Amino acid sequence: MIKFQSVVKEYNGQKALDGISLQIHHGEFISLVGLSGAGKSTLLKLIIGEEKIDGGKILIDDVDISHVRKADLPYLRRKIGMVFQDIKLLPKRTAFENVAFAMEVCGHTLEKIKKEVPQILELVGLAHKADSFPHEISGGEQQRVAIARSLSHRPVLLLADEPTGNLDEVNAMEVLDLLLKINELGTTVILATHASDLVNKIKKRVITIEEGKITMEQEKGKYKL
Amino acid sequence: MLDSISFFRVIKSGMTNFIRNPWLSAAATMVMTITLVIFSTLFLLFTLTNYSIRTIQNTVDISVYFKLGLAEEQIAKIKSHVESNSKVQEVTYVSAQQAFEDFKTRHANDPLITSSLNELTENPLPATLHIKTHELSDYPVVADDLQNGQYKNVIDKVNFEDNRVAIERLNRVLKFIITFGLGLVVIFSIIAILVIYNTITLTIYNRREEVEIMRLVGATNWYIRGPFLTESILYSLFSTLITTGLLLPIFTRVIPKIIDYVNPQLNFYGNNIFNPLFLILVLFALALALSIVSMFLATRKYLKI
Repeated sequence: MIKFQSVVKEYNGQKALDGISLQIHHGEFISLVGLSGAGKSTLLKLIIGEEKIDGGKILIDDVDISHVRKADLPYLRRKIGMVFQDIKLLPKRTAFENVAFAMEVCGHTLEKIKKEVPQILELVGLAHKADSFPHEISGGEQQRVAIARSLSHRPVLLLADEPTGNLDEVNAMEVLDLLLKINELGTTVILATHASDLVNKIKKRVITIEEGKITMEQEKGKYKL
Repeated sequence: MLDSISFFRVIKSGMTNFIRNPWLSAAATMVMTITLVIFSTLFLLFTLTNYSIRTIQNTVDISVYFKLGLAEEQIAKIKSHVESNSKVQEVTYVSAQQAFEDFKTRHANDPLITSSLNELTENPLPATLHIKTHELSDYPVVADDLQNGQYKNVIDKVNFEDNRVAIERLNRVLKFIITFGLGLVVIFSIIAILVIYNTITLTIYNRREEVEIMRLVGATNWYIRGPFLTESILYSLFSTLITTGLLLPIFTRVIPKIIDYVNPQLNFYGNNIFNPLFLILVLFALALALSIVSMFLATRKYLKI
């Protein structure tokens, strides 16, 4: 599904990614681990076309995304959901409105939005918090709203960049359980994290990045750094 | 581009931007209005001065009065002599008989003149040539040639109304209006672009979270830019409306007075001389151009689209 072929990314002459080659298949759950600054976020940004690659190729379903026109990037992003450590919810909108916003900007009708948003909130276990504003719910719940928002386009791939970084253990587990559930429903998930205890619980494929290079790949792996 | 649902969402969002920051919107609209007022004042002054010059230029000609009883062949010879001069644009011959008839018709309503004319036994009016030259500066040359040249004995009088000083003064005014006015328009256009650029930058800043999420969830560039485009169109629309409101008393009160002074018979708003609707359209187009340029500069810099 996603193929990295000797991908290089530089910032001011410094190599953030140095010859990454990697294959990710449909329906996989991948933990991308490494210290801060190892290149995890850069790798995710390249997948959604937020940054341009400086060498090599990234193929998503055999489409070379380094050649996707700027105007077509939005359509690529509708196939990929993304969640972040800082959650990025709109503070003046309720959980429902935050999810609805993502559907609105992509041109979905009001009927469709009214029908599907409750279903997505149900999926992330927050149907009862639909009318709550972000500051009225816990950090874990906020992150689940953000995941709901990223699911609103039914993406084939979900990228999670340190989604539990700001959360306590209980909340982090809630979010992780949700990501695993989404993966079971068929969405490919890439989780970038340096939370070793989480990774050890997942027991799925682990890719370790150090200084822009893949240093270890394990099926059903553990966090070893 | 955008489907109809997105189109309405974009317009709504742009209107919300406009209303939620009333002071910013007012400032942007005002500076645009000032630019438009300056532009239209200039446009009006230019049209009026230009028209005045043309009117006065048309009144300038040389009238050559021949001595009474001069033979038609002689006059024809002088006429072709004048016509052969490359400086001359047009020569009209009015015979003595014709001049007399013209005079009678012109004063047909004046019983005193009519009765005195009836007592005349012979035509007191001379035959005349009316001459127009290509250039204003040629009039004295052509006049001098007739006054002092080979035909001076058969010519009674050479007359020309010397409006050159007035015309030259008007020409200088016109030049001043063009250079000074264009300078002002350029300066205020730049100010308008800067103010609207800043206004839109601030709106982008106010909505930076929304914009970031829009990009993230796959909103198209037009969807992201649309509200700011709507905002710019609103600035243009309101500033054109306010300017038109300010110009109305000038159209209805000031211009007719000036026209009365220059040429009372003139239909200023007809005859393709000046069309207020055209000016308003030009104003709107100018406002649109300025605000859309600012919008594109701001969105390109801050939205990276």
